[in-house]
Amino acid sequence: MILRRAQYELAGRVVGPVLASLDGWRRRKRPPSGASRSSPFGPPLESVRKLKEIMTAHFFQARYADGAVPVAWVTSGFPVELLRPLGFHTVYPENHAAMCGVQRLVPGLSDAVEAQGYSRDLCSYARADLGSVITGRTPVGRLPRPDLLACCTNICQTVLYWYKALADHFRVPLVIVDTPYVYGKAEPHHVQYVRDQLEELVRVAERISGRRADPEALAEVARKAKEGTDLWAECLATGKTRPAPWTGIDGFFHMAPIVALRGTDVCNDYYRLLRDELRDRVARGIGGLREERHRLLWDNLPIWFAVREVATLLAERGFNFVCTSYTNAWAEAGARIDPRDLIASAADSYTHIILNQDLPNRLGILRRLSREYEVDGAVLHSDRSCKPYSIGQVDLKDRLASELGIRVLLLEADHSDPRAWSREQADNRLTAFMEGFA
Amino acid sequence: MSRNAYIARQREAHGRKAVAVLPIHHPKELLTALDLLAVEMWGPPGAPRGDGAGRIQAYVCSVVRNAMAFLCSGGADAVDGVLFPHTCDSIQGLATLVPDFGGWGKQAFTFLHPKGPERQSSRTYLDGELRSLARRLEAFTGRTLDAGRLAWAIRLHAEIDAARAGILDARSRLAAGDPELYALLRRGEWLWPEDHLAELRDFRKRFPDGAGRAGVPVLVSGYVPEPPSLLRTLNHAGAYVAADDFAAVGRRVVRTAPTAADPWEGLQQRYWAAPPCSTRSADPDARVNHLLGMLDRSGARGVILQVIKFCEPELFDVPLLRRAFAARGVPVLYLEGELEAELSGQTVTRIEAFVEMLAAGRAA
Amino acid sequence: MTVLAFGVDVGSTTCKTVAVDGTGRRIAHRVEPTDPRIEPQVERLLRSLREETGADGPVGATGYGRKRVPAGRALTEITCHARGAFAATRRGGVLVDMGGQDTKVIRIGPSGDVVDFAMNDKCAAGTGRFLEIILGRLRVPYEEVAGQVALATRSVPVSSTCTVFAESEVISLVAGGEPLEGILKGLHQALASRVAALARGTSGGGDLFMSGGVALNAAMVGALRDALGRPVQVLPDPQLVGAIGAALSVMPGAA
Repeated sequence: MILRRAQYELAGRVVGPVLASLDGWRRRKRPPSGASRSSPFGPPLESVRKLKEIMTAHFFQARYADGAVPVAWVTSGFPVELLRPLGFHTVYPENHAAMCGVQRLVPGLSDAVEAQGYSRDLCSYARADLGSVITGRTPVGRLPRPDLLACCTNICQTVLYWYKALADHFRVPLVIVDTPYVYGKAEPHHVQYVRDQLEELVRVAERISGRRADPEALAEVARKAKEGTDLWAECLATGKTRPAPWTGIDGFFHMAPIVALRGTDVCNDYYRLLRDELRDRVARGIGGLREERHRLLWDNLPIWFAVREVATLLAERGFNFVCTSYTNAWAEAGARIDPRDLIASAADSYTHIILNQDLPNRLGILRRLSREYEVDGAVLHSDRSCKPYSIGQVDLKDRLASELGIRVLLLEADHSDPRAWSREQADNRLTAFMEGFA
Repeated sequence: MSRNAYIARQREAHGRKAVAVLPIHHPKELLTALDLLAVEMWGPPGAPRGDGAGRIQAYVCSVVRNAMAFLCSGGADAVDGVLFPHTCDSIQGLATLVPDFGGWGKQAFTFLHPKGPERQSSRTYLDGELRSLARRLEAFTGRTLDAGRLAWAIRLHAEIDAARAGILDARSRLAAGDPELYALLRRGEWLWPEDHLAELRDFRKRFPDGAGRAGVPVLVSGYVPEPPSLLRTLNHAGAYVAADDFAAVGRRVVRTAPTAADPWEGLQQRYWAAPPCSTRSADPDARVNHLLGMLDRSGARGVILQVIKFCEPELFDVPLLRRAFAARGVPVLYLEGELEAELSGQTVTRIEAFVEMLAAGRAA
Repeated sequence: MTVLAFGVDVGSTTCKTVAVDGTGRRIAHRVEPTDPRIEPQVERLLRSLREETGADGPVGATGYGRKRVPAGRALTEITCHARGAFAATRRGGVLVDMGGQDTKVIRIGPSGDVVDFAMNDKCAAGTGRFLEIILGRLRVPYEEVAGQVALATRSVPVSSTCTVFAESEVISLVAGGEPLEGILKGLHQALASRVAALARGTSGGGDLFMSGGVALNAAMVGALRDALGRPVQVLPDPQLVGAIGAALSVMPGAA
């Protein structure tokens, strides 16, 4: 156990970062993509090297986690700040599934769970994750076994069923933080419910980790989480300038730390680095595109397996996604965290994330982002796998278009299963959409 | 009398308002105590009515798309309000889409039942949510809820559940076919509870326990016993429903009698005592154990799993259930539907093939 | 030669009728595209068989139109295909039946009983229709397909799940200069992988048999063998297995 713990610490602090930077050095020997004359993109961000190092080290360390420290598999919207001070190594199945999506591994993983009777109509993140668990196949080497499963229904109800399947497989405790949906305004007993569940969560987590939650440590993590959220928000805000210093697609990759490493120094140090680079580009007028002609908003998850294709298709005609409701969600989730009362403020904060609030609220966010970032149009990704994000988009499209006088496209796809996607048809729709702009 | 005519009659003769209720779990006792007629909306089946469904993508289940279309086209105009339980992401979305973005201009209520296991936090929360709903319904009806009336409503629904359970448990000894049986039980979805109880008792008089039913007994787990031809085809092929886990029927029959003196505690008891459902709990074993128990008690020789396409809560349970039945050596027929008004020839073939298979198994 | 029974399999694409003897051996048969007016067609085909064989006997019916046939017995294609296959193999195993508009996988027990089954009849992409539509678009005659696929040096993957998407994808591939034989091979692999997924759903190993009109396509048989990693035995008279099973069901002494 002690040896295992030592391995874990070594992996995280030394070996992981060294390996990651070696890998980065190797990549640097090859000319970076996007630097050629014919690319529509501006120069790539320098910070991305550091991002890769961080995430590679994080996943490398994960291989040594089980048996060394308590391991928790958590949902993206889970108040992870409560677990950090107890020494948990956190794994984000959604983050892992997104990587599987980018690398086009989902069909194979899904086939494995479909053979067990899971329907292809289920969320592709869940299918990728369960497929990885049954087959042991993963692009990150190895995921550590969980000692605790922790899901929060603020992003969707599907996590409840997904984590039930994980609990059935791993036979470890499952903690649920059930956040009732906010229609209009959250009622006092709703918020109290979330608070009570967080208290229950802490007791379970303490039992599993064998540690007591120290109020100082909790306050410290809360402070870091809030700071990280604010730093991420500052990064995103640079997109308001013309030209935006990066693309919205960059944002999808750079959000990994705020999701998976929220509440840590590594996360915050990274966003300081990124923010400074973005501000520098703003000062020097360097854009994410060589020539930004039209500014767009993206709604819903990205199409992970076609992120670059879509971005390139649009960039070639000077279209950039300068803001997305998805990356923006992580600038808002932790905004209400108050280190002086973590439990109460976390209950409030996590209950009010975009996906847990009604459609008028959603429309308000899209409207506000569109105005603040001065967009000319919007693409709403009608994600087959994500009903809570996709239901209502038909109306949101019409309202956004008429209220703001912008062109809006509803694009049917999936966030990580390429079998639900037709490249030719999507290209057609996007091209027709772009041709409609002056 | 048609359902709409009945609703109108309830208003004229008894001054009762009506509330349409989306699936699945809701505190019917509260509505009864406030003299509100609950009209459950399990469809309607068939093609969506009007073009309201176009506002919801095709990869969302027919329950929600059909409900959307129905509400937007005035199909539910006979009622005064709609109640949306927190069943799943799709109904959750419907509950803001229709009232907030157009399609339903009258009152809309939500009942956000807790998810996950019974814990102190969820009990406290449920109490709060029940009282909150009660307050909103009081404002809606102009009536005040008194504890005595609530206790009465709880006893009434407990009696109804006991009568329904009695019929369901005795069905292998009743001469009634499944279409007739379910037509009766489904009237409980919109009848005033006292009227429904009277019909249940009357049915029992007409069909007392008799000789054993011929045919292969099967357990059916699913959404609703729709379309009617599903049951006809099953019976005609030589099988009958010996145990049911339909969300509209068996899954809401509470079998434990309320013991609490305080009616609010009684509501809690009834909520937690209802059979396991994928839209409420996250315990992988509870539902499996419940269904295996039903299988054993009923002597069913096969299982039909009926799922509405795109229904996430149910679809995630399918592999767990299949595995459990396979371990018992019990064949499973999986039917995926879209709330059609009529069974397709393909589905008829599957049901007949399944029954042929089960019947041959007995003969061998 | 004594004929003991007649079998009719009224499928959605083709109508198959057979005359069989006591061992299930086919004595005579007729196959035609199914006429929407089923009763006169079946009547005519049976009369023709009776004339050819000079014998008579009971009639068993199966297929989607089975209830419209005046028969001694009507059973589903699942039960009949299992019986017809067992008559040919005399052992249990997994039967993959690929017809024009549906695909069935039937697990047959050691005594010929149906143990489990799965069907794909809602979506063209897992059936012979998938090939038919795309081959039609490519203007490749069905008889030439197996020969073309055999010439392929490599397979060009076709990834789309949906037949309509796959059609677009294939057109792009051809326009992009990919070799036709490779594309055809990829198409067969795509279909085979879907059928294999259906087959894996009915658990267990055992011998693998194939029936149905699509079994006459050697490229499909090969692709299925590759997808499942096991040898596939095409049954004799693959298109008639259901009709033979139906005839066996009305044989005196049948279960």
